[in-house]
Amino acid sequence: MSVASVLRKTFFVDLVKGLAVTFKYQSPKEIYTEQYPLQRPTIAERYRGLPRLNVNPDTGESLCIACDLCALACPEHLISVKSERDPKSKKKVISTWTYDTSRCMFCGICEDSCPTDCLELSQDFEFATYSRDFIIDRERLETGLVPKVYER
Amino acid sequence: MLQYVTGYLSQPVTPGEAGNYIWALIYILVVIMGVSGVVLGMNWGERKALAHMQVRLGPMRVGPHGLLQPFADALKLLTKEDIIPAGADKLVFSLAPVAIIVTAWTVFLVVPFGRTHAITDMNIGVLFMLGVSSLSVLCIVMAGWASNSNYPLMGALRSSAQMVSYEVAMGLVVVSAVMMTATNTNVGTLSMIGIVEAQASQHFWFIFKFFPLGLIAFVVFAIAMVAETNRAPFDLPEAESELVAGFHTEYSGFRWSLFMLAEYSGMIAVSSIAVTLWLGGWLRPFASIHGPQITIPHYWRGGALDFAASLLPALCMFLLALFCLVGAYRMPRLRTFRIQTAGLTVFGLGLGFIGMVLLCPPVRDRVQDIFWFTAKIGVFMYLFIWYRATFPRYRFDQLMRVGWKVLLPIGLGVLILTAIVGVLL
Repeated sequence: MSVASVLRKTFFVDLVKGLAVTFKYQSPKEIYTEQYPLQRPTIAERYRGLPRLNVNPDTGESLCIACDLCALACPEHLISVKSERDPKSKKKVISTWTYDTSRCMFCGICEDSCPTDCLELSQDFEFATYSRDFIIDRERLETGLVPKVYER
Repeated sequence: MLQYVTGYLSQPVTPGEAGNYIWALIYILVVIMGVSGVVLGMNWGERKALAHMQVRLGPMRVGPHGLLQPFADALKLLTKEDIIPAGADKLVFSLAPVAIIVTAWTVFLVVPFGRTHAITDMNIGVLFMLGVSSLSVLCIVMAGWASNSNYPLMGALRSSAQMVSYEVAMGLVVVSAVMMTATNTNVGTLSMIGIVEAQASQHFWFIFKFFPLGLIAFVVFAIAMVAETNRAPFDLPEAESELVAGFHTEYSGFRWSLFMLAEYSGMIAVSSIAVTLWLGGWLRPFASIHGPQITIPHYWRGGALDFAASLLPALCMFLLALFCLVGAYRMPRLRTFRIQTAGLTVFGLGLGFIGMVLLCPPVRDRVQDIFWFTAKIGVFMYLFIWYRATFPRYRFDQLMRVGWKVLLPIGLGVLILTAIVGVLL
């Protein structure tokens, strides 16, 4: 053993260094914990959360053209699109669009395949449920999630 | 009768020396309640300080900044089911927690919180403290053996081996401190009050005496006392990664809480030995320097430094009250926080009121020594938490090596050198 290492051991140099590190971390500025329902996290712009079906803000009509591309693109085949033909305009209009959260892996391929700006993965992440109804229908996807805001 | 009760107040001795049973009983109750209260506070403080050192928040929900968390914990522990395993030795199993709490509290008989603020003054004080506090290893072995389970037994074995090996080094350095009391008088003392008075008369805390001998002895004691109380980094008897919870694995509810209470009381007890032997007990720093004489009518006559020191307890209380009031002011102004804010305000005002009471001359002169003693113990309590947050646990052979191959020779060397220096000077 060299003299330096003996001195280090006698004067607890390493131990004191460790103590200094833990002492510095006591500053309240260092705290990393987030008090979740009170403090909400900032979510990255490209986060892939619950899908949203966008509507035209002026007319309130769905942007979906019921092309079924998202259902075809889905690797898990968990999207089902049903449509009916509008007798007046002879256009296909979406009637139901269901989606199964329990099997979705949020790959975002449906979003890429959508030819209009309708389908989009939003930043919503709070879709835990108390029951097993994982299949989410069109109405909820169009309005998006409205998380309950807690006071404390 | 009234004469018997009030007569004690004018005597400058402990109730034990005065032979006053009523005041002794009051002191015992106050000490036990005080220690339990400090353990509750320590529970909160440890969780909070540990959390902040680990970049967490710690308890935040029960009361403002989790201040009521220890009470919630206590309530939970008291209402929990009290399980005695089917294979356990029922008598010993239920006796162990009671025995450990009895030993942990008996130690406080001789702890001198001030010249008159000890339950009694024994001429074998240090010996009594070391002896009774080492009885706790017996209770740990009882708990481990009676549980009739592998982990508790392993924990108890480790604990007994560890305590036996560290007690040797601890005893040696304690003897070196006791020898220092004999410097001017040629008569050493084992009485806790006598040791502090020796430090006062020699104008030296023993940590600075025969430099660096006192300091080395203190460091050896500070290491050994962490090992004695089974705290990190020497917490092998209850190493949760290896032994679940060590000797109290099979305990739950109230009995488990008694073990916790005993552990924290033991921490306070060994810190009070360290404070008494090396850090001057109830003496304030630079106790022999009084400063220039000043006189404030009806309030103070004496040294300026003494006056400044006598205001410190009240100032501390005011500071705490200020913290509470600022915290209450900074609470979110929401309906759900109203009760918490009101509670914190009342708590702050209460602390402020205690501070005002501490300014009254008779109270002020009596709490001086208690204040300095508890402040020094508080530093040790913080050190225990700090160690726990910083150091990884020792392996068992490393623990034994430190105990027998490092601390024991150093303790012996310090003892012999203290004896030689003491005789030569």
